[in-house]
Amino acid sequence: MSILERIWSALFTVAMLIAPLLLGDYQAYLLTLTVIWAILALSMAIVLGLAGQINLGQAAFVAIGAYTSSVLRLRYGLDFWLAAPIALVAVIVVAALMGLLTLRLRGPFFILVMLAFAEIVRLLIANWQDVTNGPLGLRDIAPPEPLLGLHFETKIAFYYLSLAVLLSCLIGLSRLKRSNIGRLLIAVREDDVLAEFVGIPIMRNKILGLCIGAFVAGLGGLLLGPFLTILAPSQFTLFASVDMIVMAVVGGIATLAGPLLGAAFLVYVPELLSFSSDYRPAMMGALLILMTLFAPRGLAGLALDLRTALTRREQHDE
Amino acid sequence: MLAQQLANGVVLGCVYALCALGFTLVFGAARVVNFAYGELLMIGAFFTLTVMQTLSVPFFVALPVAMSGVALLSVLVFYLTIRPLQRRATTALSGELQIILVTLGLLYVLREAANFLWGTAPRQMDMGIHGIVLIGKVVVTEQRLAVMAITCVLVLALYGLLYRTRVGRALRAIAQNREGAAAIGLNADRITAFVFAVSGALACAAGSLLGCLYAVASDMGASPLLKSFVIVIFGGLGSVPGAIVGGILIGLLENLSGAYLSFAFKDVITFAVLIAVLLLRPAGLFGRAT
Repeated sequence: MSILERIWSALFTVAMLIAPLLLGDYQAYLLTLTVIWAILALSMAIVLGLAGQINLGQAAFVAIGAYTSSVLRLRYGLDFWLAAPIALVAVIVVAALMGLLTLRLRGPFFILVMLAFAEIVRLLIANWQDVTNGPLGLRDIAPPEPLLGLHFETKIAFYYLSLAVLLSCLIGLSRLKRSNIGRLLIAVREDDVLAEFVGIPIMRNKILGLCIGAFVAGLGGLLLGPFLTILAPSQFTLFASVDMIVMAVVGGIATLAGPLLGAAFLVYVPELLSFSSDYRPAMMGALLILMTLFAPRGLAGLALDLRTALTRREQHDE
Repeated sequence: MLAQQLANGVVLGCVYALCALGFTLVFGAARVVNFAYGELLMIGAFFTLTVMQTLSVPFFVALPVAMSGVALLSVLVFYLTIRPLQRRATTALSGELQIILVTLGLLYVLREAANFLWGTAPRQMDMGIHGIVLIGKVVVTEQRLAVMAITCVLVLALYGLLYRTRVGRALRAIAQNREGAAAIGLNADRITAFVFAVSGALACAAGSLLGCLYAVASDMGASPLLKSFVIVIFGGLGSVPGAIVGGILIGLLENLSGAYLSFAFKDVITFAVLIAVLLLRPAGLFGRAT
């Protein structure tokens, strides 16, 4: 990481830490929403960027994380901090199984199977009335219980918890990207035949990529229940996965900042333009089309282009 | 009971087959997974309904008019969004991913456009055919028979187009080997545009039939889209006979599992069978191994 990047990361962290102290309750809510969406967009960017695949089943991993933890808390009286790791294990086990099932499938076939998988998960949630309360969903999901003397009942406290999760994900992923595993994942994405030829175990790496993406999605799911206080199967349709894709693509998947930008953009722009929520889907669709056609590297890519253009001009002037 | 369920399954399967045909054609010839296909279906149903109401003509007159309208829309979609990406793509993979992203975007835009133009309330569409036919103990409405007849006519027309005309031969050549076809002087873009037109027309027909059987609504596209996915994987992506057989099989599977196993879980069973098929035969029942 260059010094400039370190400075930007530090500035970003400080800004995010002090932001809620200056803002009211509603703004804190929006900020928490942005952070949770950023985690989910990040999980999609991992699959898109590191595995080179569109995962339309990502919402199912979010759903498994959210529902497993909330059901354990509401029905079995477990503590949030006990339910969370169990839910994450469930997410990873399912992701690994799906990885094993789909590793031979490429391109459209992978997309369609993950879509079918997401539909199965959603339909199971909608129809397993005794446990999930069916289409009506789970209600009154409490904030996480106190841990090590920290309390999370207030909106601000929950915001800090979400931010901590986001920052840990960012740090973990920036390490992963530069690690051997990250390089192996990129090699498999670029050309899996060649990667296998030079002795990279591609099966293991493909499953690993899917599991890392699912893990981050599951983390977002854990926060979703206490944040919204209600969970319903209708929150986890194909369109939830598409929302994550739009955020990742609008922000750009090449950098870790991209999904954050995308999430912030899609939470705040409708807010600032005081959009009726009716126009949200149309905006999402139009953005996805325009960004893919004209700025495939996203907002982060545009910013990078701008920077290179500016530095070039400076050199020119000299 | 069993005979009745089988009959219902076949009728449903016919409509499903029609849905899947347009989807599989575009994949076969252009390697495009068109996520906006369900919305073309929905817009087709609204076109038919609008033509019927504004010109006060019967369903069978309005349908061809609407089909050409959707064909035009589909060609427009190809030239405006998909062709630029296909030209720009550096690798097949990045092109494929970007096209999927764009068609996902189109899915939202077309649905919202329909919400804006026609509202969110479901509407009724009347084919003008009423009455019931008894075959043994099996009850079939005449409307359902008409649906089957229209499907058969369209499938025959499609086969005629693919196997009896020059453009059909060119189309099959493109589907088999894009580079080879280009090398012998076929204009891949124009033929792909033609495939999009045919696909749009079929989507319109399928949507209009679904609209008659159930209702015309702006959210009617999602279910046929998912069904088309399942069917083309069942039958093999890009395979025309696969779409027909797959459609009827899925229609039967849905009706039988709904009647004998569990109505609530019938879609789960369908999707589970789909995943099983993919694992055992990744190319589908009629697919070529790639």
